[in-house]
Amino acid sequence: WALLRRGAAAAGQGLSTPAACSPACRCDEDGFADCSGRGLTSVPTGLSAFTYYLDISMNNITKLPANVFKTLPYLEELRLAGNDLSFIHPDALSGLHQLKVLMLQNNQLRTVPGAALKNLHALQSLRLDANHITAVPEDSFEGLQQLRHLWLDDNSLTEVPVGPLRHQGNLQALTLALNRISRIPDHAFANLSSLVVLHLHNNQIEEIGTSCFAGLENLETLDLNFNKLMTFPEAIQTMPKLKELGFHSNNIGIIPEGAFRKNPFLRAIHLYDNPLTFVGVSAFQNLSDLSSLMLRGASRMQEFPNLSGTVNLESLTVTGTKISGVPVDLCNDLALLRTLDLSYNEIGMLPTFQGCVKLQEISLQHNRISQVGRETFQDLSALRVLDLSRNQISNIHSNAFETLSSLTNLDLSQNALTTVPVVGLGSLSQLRLAGNLQIKSPLNARRLPKLRSISVPYAYQCCAFIGCDPFSSSDEVSRKKGAGGDEGVERISLVLHCSPAPGAFKPCEHLLGSWM
Amino acid sequence: HTPGMSTGCQSGCLTCSDYNGCLSCKPKFFIFLERNGMKQTGVCLTSCPSGYYGTRSPERNDCTKCRPECDSCFTGNFCTRCRAGFYLHQGKCLQSCPEGRAPNDAQRECVPECP
Repeated sequence: WALLRRGAAAAGQGLSTPAACSPACRCDEDGFADCSGRGLTSVPTGLSAFTYYLDISMNNITKLPANVFKTLPYLEELRLAGNDLSFIHPDALSGLHQLKVLMLQNNQLRTVPGAALKNLHALQSLRLDANHITAVPEDSFEGLQQLRHLWLDDNSLTEVPVGPLRHQGNLQALTLALNRISRIPDHAFANLSSLVVLHLHNNQIEEIGTSCFAGLENLETLDLNFNKLMTFPEAIQTMPKLKELGFHSNNIGIIPEGAFRKNPFLRAIHLYDNPLTFVGVSAFQNLSDLSSLMLRGASRMQEFPNLSGTVNLESLTVTGTKISGVPVDLCNDLALLRTLDLSYNEIGMLPTFQGCVKLQEISLQHNRISQVGRETFQDLSALRVLDLSRNQISNIHSNAFETLSSLTNLDLSQNALTTVPVVGLGSLSQLRLAGNLQIKSPLNARRLPKLRSISVPYAYQCCAFIGCDPFSSSDEVSRKKGAGGDEGVERISLVLHCSPAPGAFKPCEHLLGSWM
Repeated sequence: HTPGMSTGCQSGCLTCSDYNGCLSCKPKFFIFLERNGMKQTGVCLTSCPSGYYGTRSPERNDCTKCRPECDSCFTGNFCTRCRAGFYLHQGKCLQSCPEGRAPNDAQRECVPECP
């Protein structure tokens, strides 16, 4: 149809003569007219009847009189954004039978111009965002049978326009974000069976009916972020195709058992910045498409979430809880896990993470771990970062790190170690041992050839890694390649940062077995 | 007058500089960085350019790239028009249409098959 229309346009105007245009616009042969940002106070005249795209945004048109587009029957896209429009005559848009896209955002409208929209039977996209709309008359969208995308965000709505939306069976994407909506009644979106995306973020929603989302059987994305929800939105159970759910930055304290059992296709759940105190053990089971789960600060949570069936998790964060143990079969289901953060819990015993072969980062700091066995981290050849700091570890099996061929960062600081197993740490570039006051013997630098940064309990232990020349800068010291100094000690040219660095009052000689 | 800050900002701008264009926008406008070779120039728009979608928030309104197969989109996961060679079906740009639907090249959409 587009080709026919342009052919007709060329024929209608004689191929050689340029398309009719208005002095205030830039037009092309294809029916494209750009009159934006010209300081116009009224719709330009003199445009070609075959104009299909008209942009008069960012002008000073405050009113649209009747029949102002009567001469443009082929118009498909009309842009009127940013005009301080406050009044649209009921007949202003008459004649636009082919209009598909109407942009009225960034104006001064206080109500939806329902009468003017009535005959736009081909309209698919309607932008009314960033106005001052407080009311949506019941018949606002009556004539718009083809409407697919509706923007009503950034207005002053205090309730969901349930009535006006009742007949929008073809609507696929709707945003009511950034309004003042405080509740969602039951069956608010009952007939929106084609809706795929619904944004309600940045409202004041405290209360939602348990059937408020009934009818949204095709919804895939629901955004309830930045509201005032106090309880978990159980109403999501009526949406079997939900893939992305956001309710972060609300006031939800509890995620109940089986919270997502009716939403098996969930890929992403955004729930941070809620005062969580409890999470049901079964809440996150059987979510086979979920790739990331982040639970922070559920302070009353005592049991590790059951993740059976949630087999495609790549990132798992559970921090700030009273969890004291990790399921021994955790890695049976999490073969794809790449980052695991279980810091700031009360974990005492560690299982083996052997099945989680793709793990790259493990954070276990701030727990109550007392020992690390041979199998704990066995076969994690992709592991790069391991943080075990601030635990009570007194014993690490001598071969615990044997298979960690990619490990570059190891933090064992603030524990109760007496020795450090260096087997398998050939790739280590950063090692933290500070705070293990029982480690008094010098460390074997030759087993840590790639070390760049190390913190040790006592300054003299730095001497194994840096020449204790008085002229070297106290912190950043480089070791020169080639034999020299001590017999057989190879010095490798590496920039090494060692703390606490030895100095005048902390000489390299180990005096009296300990340092005051 | 703050050194480096321009006095004549483009419409929609709240603050701007001669070299970088708009640095911040008036309320309800989207900030967008136009690329011109290595140089980036800030502009304030009432809607994001084709190939981007707008996200409004109380503090700021941003433009984010649509998926590569979309010409325009409502959000990152929902396209409203596809690139050539793709066909729109329920917000997705597909290279082939699901059963019962046929590709329409002019509209780049999957449309109901003729009975």
